[in-house]
Amino acid sequence: MKKVLALVLAVCMVIGLAACGGGSTPANNTPANNSNNVAPASEIAGTYKVLVWCPAEAKALTTKQIEAFNKDNKLGIVIEATVNEMSESEAGTQVLNDVSAGPDLYFFAQDQLARLVQGAGIAKLGEAASKKVKDESDKAAVAAATTGDQIYAYPLTSDNGYFMYYDKSVIKEEDVDSLEKLIEACKAAGKRFSMETDTSAWYIASFFFATGCVSEWTADKDGVFTNVKDTFNSPEGLIAAKGLYKLQSAKDVHVSSSNVADFSANPASAIVVSGTWAYNDVKKILGDNMGATDLPSFNVDGKDYHMGSFNGCKLLGVKPQTDVKKGAALNQLAQYLTDYDHQVERFNELGWGPANLEAQKIDAVKNNAAQVAINAQNQYATVQGQIHGSWWDIAKVIGTDVGNSDGSDAGLQKALDNYKAAIDELFKIDYSGKIFVGAWNEWNNADEKFAMTKDGNNFTITLDVPQSDYMGGRIVTPGDWGTELGYAQVTTGKELMNPEMADPAKNGDNNIVFAAPGTYTVTTDGTSITIVKK
Amino acid sequence: MSKQENYDPSEIKRHMGMSAKNRISNTVIYIVLIIMSIVWLAPFVFIVLQSFRVESTWMVGYVVPKTWGLDNYINLAKTDFWHWYTNTFIMALATAVGQTVIVLCMSYTLSRFRFKMRNGLMRFMLILGMFPGMLSMIILYRLLKDLNMTQANAVPGLILVYIASSGMGYYVSKGFFDTVPKTLDEAARIDGATRAQVLWKIILPMAKPIVIYTILTAFMGPWGDFVVARYISMNTPAGMNVAVGLNSWLSADQIISRYTMFCAGGVIVAIPVTILFMCLQRYYVEGVTGGAVKG
Repeated sequence: MKKVLALVLAVCMVIGLAACGGGSTPANNTPANNSNNVAPASEIAGTYKVLVWCPAEAKALTTKQIEAFNKDNKLGIVIEATVNEMSESEAGTQVLNDVSAGPDLYFFAQDQLARLVQGAGIAKLGEAASKKVKDESDKAAVAAATTGDQIYAYPLTSDNGYFMYYDKSVIKEEDVDSLEKLIEACKAAGKRFSMETDTSAWYIASFFFATGCVSEWTADKDGVFTNVKDTFNSPEGLIAAKGLYKLQSAKDVHVSSSNVADFSANPASAIVVSGTWAYNDVKKILGDNMGATDLPSFNVDGKDYHMGSFNGCKLLGVKPQTDVKKGAALNQLAQYLTDYDHQVERFNELGWGPANLEAQKIDAVKNNAAQVAINAQNQYATVQGQIHGSWWDIAKVIGTDVGNSDGSDAGLQKALDNYKAAIDELFKIDYSGKIFVGAWNEWNNADEKFAMTKDGNNFTITLDVPQSDYMGGRIVTPGDWGTELGYAQVTTGKELMNPEMADPAKNGDNNIVFAAPGTYTVTTDGTSITIVKK
Repeated sequence: MSKQENYDPSEIKRHMGMSAKNRISNTVIYIVLIIMSIVWLAPFVFIVLQSFRVESTWMVGYVVPKTWGLDNYINLAKTDFWHWYTNTFIMALATAVGQTVIVLCMSYTLSRFRFKMRNGLMRFMLILGMFPGMLSMIILYRLLKDLNMTQANAVPGLILVYIASSGMGYYVSKGFFDTVPKTLDEAARIDGATRAQVLWKIILPMAKPIVIYTILTAFMGPWGDFVVARYISMNTPAGMNVAVGLNSWLSADQIISRYTMFCAGGVIVAIPVTILFMCLQRYYVEGVTGGAVKG
């Protein structure tokens, strides 16, 4: 009897599981990178359930604006929106956790765009919508929303940069232009100087932009990075590092933070480098003592360098949709939320600086203290554009490296060398190429200097093999350690090899080991290898 | 005290010597304990004090509020906090019941029954338990998503996750059951009790500490879970537990306006667990150590 019962239970379990399998929804069929084509107006009428993610402070306003859209639009679109809170800085990561379950419409900071495009978490804009964005937004906003030559998002703000808030009761107006004087003033008053230079590349870059360094990344239309021009490791970069060292080495004054609550911490900060989003909070904390202005200059070898910044944006993204009609309706809504009227409304209620060129011209925007400060700073700012996601982690190390150095040229240069090495490592790997790796380049399989030149189907390299105990190596794909192109594949030139290496037991890695130093030309077609001594 | 007067004087003297020594060592011990308790309690006191601060909502450089009030607690009602709280409570309660039943049955089985592969099974579970649960997180997410148990429906999904592997946590209670003499079972069986009756009527009444220990740990798991809960709820307030919900208030754009409210939330979260522990503390200690006394 018991056995029968056990059998019945087991069958029930299996049936239960099978039922679960049938319950899966086709929600994963989100098409990659599709653009939400605009269907004709009459066709997109309907009621749509939409999930929206926006930052907490904008939740009420966004809900209100969506309700207004339902009344205003002439296309018969009714949006039933669920608005959830999500900070712009994390939205991209969260969306990519599971795009199909993610929001249909979301606010995000521009640094996440390339990742979202690569992960198919964001839909392209149609031609008409792209043109509208290009015509109506400032150039930083257009750059922020573009990867390759394709626009992927609607600009919401164009004030995602940073400047300096200060406590007027501590800092004198005449000191605000000099970093050295500010540090002195803070020290004299027993106050702190907050700038997030230990943990954030975004703020560290300020010093490098001051001396004219650039880190310009090129991404194609799929969000893949194809090139970089980076001059942080240069004589100008060294000057910037000296400026950064002045702040980093002032250990009893500097605090690595961008939290404006530092103004009421103990010991309190007299200066916090932060952005327009903190304006209302600083006003609450400091009241009439609040000052906001562009960043100061630092002086190296008698020359002043005005600190730079990023000029970035917040964007509105639309998720690729399987339902073309819903995609079109969402694009209508996104355009509505980012048009002139609603950017102005967002500025009035939340203080978000508009990306819309016309909206930037209205008096209220021009006279707002935070906007005045960011505009003053923007003369020295660099348009953020698209930057490789790893750059933020690579560059943020400069802050602590510089802070821990002895401040000498050699010490600071070492920090920059580390940075450069990391950038090279990140970027110069061409996975379609071949590289002749070995003792001559210390087995660095991402070393561009030993990359083989491609000529049709053949790869060639001419190299000097220096005298060493083990003059060996093999041909690999960059970043890989495969053993399929080595001694066994050599068809011409075996007599140049060290004869001991013919023994497979001694040559487990199939390495090509030269018998004598010299200059060799190595050619391969992917299956056989020819080696000629010069 | 009066009795002491009849003692032999030399004995009293020796006794005083002892007590002086005791006093010194006690003083040292108490100083160390006081310092330790200050270090331990300071964060809690700090959070409680912050939760009553109403003059500002952000972090400040002092501990004692300048203006006291209940605003932060009152304002919690205007947010999703009580929803998260209810979610957490439901999950904790369901897990406490489900997990306890499963663990006790499992322990009883492994302690009293002898069947093929019993040792193999125990070893297998021991090895399985060595893999961090995080490893299965992504696959769990896909599974629950297909069952429509994520986001707004995260509560049943999470209960399933918490209960699913609980059978493997049998060690402590099995150890305890092993100490209950088998002769009792046999006596009951001879009197006509079924196996189940033996468990419910003979073993469990004797294993109260271990039952309470199991309930407590089962309750605590979901109460403090963050990683899995965050992943499964995927930023949907309707499916969040308190840890995930409160954490969302710490993002850079919210912390200035919600920091003191966050502290108030933290205090409320601590209340049921504290009460539970206070009531059941006696059993808890017995339970933790009980399993180790194996005959």
